[in-house]
Amino acid sequence: MNNDTSILVLGWIGIYAPVSLAAIGASIGCTTAGQAAIGAMMEVSSGYGRFVGLSALPSSMSIYGIVVMFILNRPVTPANSGGLFGIGLLSGLAFLMAAIYQGLCCASAISGSKAKPEIFGLSLAPAAIVEGFAVFAFVFALVAAGGIPK
Amino acid sequence: MKYVVLMASLPPLGSLFEAATPPISRLKLESRLGLLDAPDLHTLEQIANLIAWPSQPLERTDAVFIQEAHSFLASNRNRTLGSLVTHRLDMRTIVAALRRRRRGEAQPPTGEVWGFGEWVGLIERNWSAPTFKLEVIFPWVRQAHDLLEKDDLIGFEKLQFTVVWAMLNRLGAGHAFDFEALIIYLARWSLVSRWSCYKGDAAVARFRELVDAGLGSHKELFSGASQ
Repeated sequence: MNNDTSILVLGWIGIYAPVSLAAIGASIGCTTAGQAAIGAMMEVSSGYGRFVGLSALPSSMSIYGIVVMFILNRPVTPANSGGLFGIGLLSGLAFLMAAIYQGLCCASAISGSKAKPEIFGLSLAPAAIVEGFAVFAFVFALVAAGGIPK
Repeated sequence: MKYVVLMASLPPLGSLFEAATPPISRLKLESRLGLLDAPDLHTLEQIANLIAWPSQPLERTDAVFIQEAHSFLASNRNRTLGSLVTHRLDMRTIVAALRRRRRGEAQPPTGEVWGFGEWVGLIERNWSAPTFKLEVIFPWVRQAHDLLEKDDLIGFEKLQFTVVWAMLNRLGAGHAFDFEALIIYLARWSLVSRWSCYKGDAAVARFRELVDAGLGSHKELFSGASQ
């Protein structure tokens, strides 16, 4: 494999990395939060819906990943593959980690609010803050992608 | 990931001395522990055998107990659980030394294995010192000594609970949905359960009932004699 081909491979990795890494993270995050929801449902006798709904929150990361992938998607050339690789991989890693930790936040929120339902709204704050960091990564990935040659 | 389900299914324990009853019964708790697999249950049983003091069989000697503790710590790779067991056994050693001295043993035990851990030698060398010169490492020893001197056994027991509870809180930091969190929850549940069984007023009332029943018709005789 010559150098040009290697560089093109990096470009293709960069295009697909956001959606794949975000999907992995969302799977882990939703699994963690979902298992907490199941555990909480063993203890309480009502309010199941909101636990399940909260456990789906990390799935938003895969949506960000899909959007970044569409923005990066273009013919890969030696001139743009470095940019595609950098933005795609790093934004994907950001979505991956955000989804995993958001899942833990959601699990804690579910675990805490099963005993004190009145804190349900407030307990979402950590997960919302993590979402905010992911939105930073998403928005600035879009901004930076504007500078990559077509 | 099974720990997430398990931990989320357990109710919060609240404060140590406030609960009148544990928020989850032993039966229900044991049912929830059915989610664990065999190696986890084995580890849990090993730890319970080492730190659950009230359930120790009488025929189990200190030497056997300490051998089992060393065996567990040698095979255990989990630092948090190792710290938990070591701390509880250090505490047990110090409490044993305090109690031995209180019952009149002027010298440390000789020719027998009586304590666990790195502080046994220091305790033996400083047997006559009120705190065995351990107050820097274990600040609660001074208070424990004072309570025993005053024969305040309830206060002594309460102090031990408080120290263990604080240690569990410290070890539990950073553990929310893992095996360590579960072990710490169970240790805390055990404290709440034991403390909630200690009903001082009920014990006094029951004691009076038994005394009255035992005195029977002689009750009035004694009450008359006291007048």
